[in-house]
Amino acid sequence: MAASFTLVGWNRFKRSYDVALIAGIVLFFAAHVGAGILGTPAGQAPSELQVVIRASGAAAFSLLTFILCIGPLARLTPRALPLLYNRRHLGVACFLIALVHGALVVLWYHGFSQVNAFISLLVSNPRYDSFGGFPFESLGLGALLILFVMAATSHDFWNAVLGPRLWKALHMGVYAAYGLLVAHVMLGAAQGETGLVQAALAGGSALIVAGLHVAAGQREAARDGAAADPGEGWLDAGLAAEIADGRAVIIVPPEGERIAVFRDGAKVYAVANACRHQGGPLGEGRILDGCIVCPWHGFQYRPEDGCSPPPYTEKIQTYRTRITEGRVFVEAAPQPPGTAIAPSVIGEAG
Amino acid sequence: MADDPFFVGWQDNVPKLSRRKVLAAGAGLALGAGALGLGLGLKPPAPGPGVWDQGRKLAMTGTIYPEPYLHLLTEDLGGGPRPVFLVGQGKDRVTVRPALTFTGAAVTGTMIARGEHAMMAVDDVYADPAPGRVMPGPETDLGEVLMTGEILDAKCWFGAMRPGHGKTHKACASLCAQGGLPLAFCETGRCGEGKAALLFLDARGRAFGPEIIPLVADPVLIRGRIFEVSGLRQVRVALQDVVRL
Repeated sequence: MAASFTLVGWNRFKRSYDVALIAGIVLFFAAHVGAGILGTPAGQAPSELQVVIRASGAAAFSLLTFILCIGPLARLTPRALPLLYNRRHLGVACFLIALVHGALVVLWYHGFSQVNAFISLLVSNPRYDSFGGFPFESLGLGALLILFVMAATSHDFWNAVLGPRLWKALHMGVYAAYGLLVAHVMLGAAQGETGLVQAALAGGSALIVAGLHVAAGQREAARDGAAADPGEGWLDAGLAAEIADGRAVIIVPPEGERIAVFRDGAKVYAVANACRHQGGPLGEGRILDGCIVCPWHGFQYRPEDGCSPPPYTEKIQTYRTRITEGRVFVEAAPQPPGTAIAPSVIGEAG
Repeated sequence: MADDPFFVGWQDNVPKLSRRKVLAAGAGLALGAGALGLGLGLKPPAPGPGVWDQGRKLAMTGTIYPEPYLHLLTEDLGGGPRPVFLVGQGKDRVTVRPALTFTGAAVTGTMIARGEHAMMAVDDVYADPAPGRVMPGPETDLGEVLMTGEILDAKCWFGAMRPGHGKTHKACASLCAQGGLPLAFCETGRCGEGKAALLFLDARGRAFGPEIIPLVADPVLIRGRIFEVSGLRQVRVALQDVVRL
């Protein structure tokens, strides 16, 4: 949360997360490089540097594929939520691996010549008018630049400076980067193979990412389709007794953002469903220690006024509620962020 | 209050059940990454048997000829006069004083070799009258040919890079061609594991100029004539008979 900023706020989970990340990267590289060098016939080993170039490219692509799967997986199952927390560490690692890949490519394929290596990168293959012959290096460079911008602005400091909307829009560039990388592999390494393995893997990865996003999108669309009918400006959120204690139901107004209706003991509150941090679904979170906790990154809000507890400053919209014959109704019109609203109390109304 | 575990990443005390699951998932993902790396690393593109032993300095004697590409014609390799192409350490040609050409010379450097093909990354060249003048063998016309394949830079394909062909190598091949290094031609399907390539020359048996660079490393169809000179086969092709596929 955004009261002050430290480079990384370490805790045990974050250390474990990064240990697993580093172990995964080391194992991937060791296995890939080992297989590349030892798996070839005697006397025909590929250049060590080219093996590392290949391994780093495969690692960056695989890691980005994994990163892009986490978002929709977390929408489909809460078991994936721990992966979402600290996802930015994966993103920064992905950029660094891609940077190693790009630097080695520039050195090896474009260096050792009278021509400037960076100019060579863009002009050595001038077939920009061809599909099959397209200079795939420029696609990789484009993806690397996007990954750099994302890695450089991944810290919450930039989220606070740029604002959640701009920051989110900027980081949606990851999809452009992934598209460029798929094309980079298809028009580069995949064309150098005699079989279709590389093409099938790159295409299959893209299909998995797309498939998970479609599945998550369908689930969200089905939820939106079940929007509560407004009655005189009030939305029916269902029976109060059916809301689990400390949890919420999410309702969808005909216009505007989703609303999370929380129950805390006998009290019922309604707040905007989107977290101010990265738009996480607050209604899928919990009330812990009197605060709503976002399931994505643990941002907290008081249910009674939508304000983060001091010293934090985030605020979300709140909604008036009432309970009639055991059913919770929420006023469709939101109150300004941070507006205190008295909760409805189960058993008092009727 | 719901009492089932709820994961909050910034908490110091992740619930016990979550912690066990998180650790198992982390270990599983790390091992999965290793398995994925192993799978993706298997069967890399075949580089072929080219070798550049940069740790072993050699000296060879013979006669230096500047055309079609700078080479030392030597009998040091056995089996009569054989050409050893002379190149720089990087992606550029090496220059030799005219006084050292067409006469006995000694060259030091490191060998780049693939099959019967030989090239030397030159450290030094000096006069050495001992071998006398080594004369090229007769030129034999082996007839017309129509082939598909790839125009390569010979240095990388001989062993400077492994592999040194295909689209991922196009930029490097273009730089080598621009630097005046010898060009060769490999037939489709033989660029990877093949041991032999054809020296690639224009229809008059001379090195191509920069006009050939855009076609380097692309799949092409060529029509030309094959010649054999001093044990090395050449394909001589007019530029208009090189068609990109």
